[in-house]
Amino acid sequence: MSKSISRILMGLGALVMAVGAIDAVQAQTSSKLQEVLQRGKLIVGTGSTNPPWHFRDEKGQLAGFDIDIAKIIAKGLFNDTNKIEFVTQASDARIPNITTGKVDITCQFMTVTAARAQQVAFTLPYYREGVGLLLLKGGSYANYDALKAAGDKVTIAVLQNVYAEEMVHQALPEAKVDQYDSVDLIYQALNSKRADAAATDMSSLRWFMKQNAGRYQDAGYAWNPQTYSCAVKLGDPDWLNFVNIALREAMLGVEFSEYKASFERWFGEAPPEPKIGFPSELR
Amino acid sequence: METFFSELWIARDALMEGFVRTIEASVVSILIGTALGLLIGIVLVYGPLVVRLLCRAYVDVMRGTPVLVLILASFYIPSVVGLHLSAFQAGLLALILFCGAHIGEIVRGALQSIPPGQTEAARSIGLTFPQILTYVLLPQALRSILPTWINTGAELVKASTLLSVIGVGELLLKTQEIVGRNFMTLDFYLFAGLLYLLVNLGIEQAGKALERRVAVR
Repeated sequence: MSKSISRILMGLGALVMAVGAIDAVQAQTSSKLQEVLQRGKLIVGTGSTNPPWHFRDEKGQLAGFDIDIAKIIAKGLFNDTNKIEFVTQASDARIPNITTGKVDITCQFMTVTAARAQQVAFTLPYYREGVGLLLLKGGSYANYDALKAAGDKVTIAVLQNVYAEEMVHQALPEAKVDQYDSVDLIYQALNSKRADAAATDMSSLRWFMKQNAGRYQDAGYAWNPQTYSCAVKLGDPDWLNFVNIALREAMLGVEFSEYKASFERWFGEAPPEPKIGFPSELR
Repeated sequence: METFFSELWIARDALMEGFVRTIEASVVSILIGTALGLLIGIVLVYGPLVVRLLCRAYVDVMRGTPVLVLILASFYIPSVVGLHLSAFQAGLLALILFCGAHIGEIVRGALQSIPPGQTEAARSIGLTFPQILTYVLLPQALRSILPTWINTGAELVKASTLLSVIGVGELLLKTQEIVGRNFMTLDFYLFAGLLYLLVNLGIEQAGKALERRVAVR
């Protein structure tokens, strides 16, 4: 009798231990990293209407710098840049789609701010955006210094925004500011010489210059810095760490050639080469 | 104009895809929404009190909420409870619920406008309730339902543009993507507007033909 009871107890003990072991395995697999690996594809939230960051090319495929960054992460996960499902989302859906788990990661020219960092976890930055001035090649003003020297005689076209006037005046305190409500209109204002320069994001400026080679030039001054990072859900250090490693090694390590090729393709200039020797980011 | 046509030719597949998506979303939500609305409308007039109150609450909430809010809600709320709908499924759900509430209210009004003598007469010759509905009430209600039903259909085609907000690649989002690439803002938005206009003119004509067909002669 007592023998059978002890057997039952032993059996129960084994069961409890087995359940405990399953729990432990589940705890290990609860990171997004394991989930993504098991699923076999990465779900990335991004936009589809803003070149050179994320847009549909003429074949209808998503392309741009954000898309290439997502591909670098997918390559790190699966050694295959095609194992991605892109979820197109508006800019204001970036944070909710992460917090509700609709996407594993968002790469959509997301400006890092302390307020946003309370809601999502930002990865290492992969670009620093700024505002620059686009000039017509051979126009009345050759560069930023000429614009600044001209004082209130210059007119700057800028995309309509609450801070637009203040932003332009940070660089050109006396310039006249004309606000337009879409990007193509600020380029049109420049083409028709209604404006002497167009103030726009450096990335858009470089993209536009590359699309229209020889017609425009950069005034050679950039201000108003904004850091761009991908974002993941708060509270998952393993997943955040994985993405950070993948991004860091793209910017400074083994995948630099991919990052460089993409940077050159979308921004028309090469990023600085990582220095061989001591890893300078640890200085 | 020439550049517009060459850009249009480049973008033809994307535009076609968006157009098909728009039609798909509209047709599915109108069909399912109409079936739902018919049921809701009948319940609103003849249902038992508790069910009737529930349907009334549903209709009032749906009709008192902007479609955009409905779309965002059906995109985000199910995923909070662990049900992952794709953007298109979530969008369809919102449009169906929206359509169902509007049609429900239209059907209720149409049924209540039929004189009670009709039901009494039908009952006195021994028809059961389902028979009264199918043979006496609904055929008469159809005539007053049709014009507003067509109107709701056209509203839904326009409401489907809001699905672009949650990333459904319908005509408006496809147009935005094309404009984002080639900066031909005015040209392509006008073109998209023209397509929507054509679809809705088509719906209106089909509706008029149907109204003539069921008119009392």
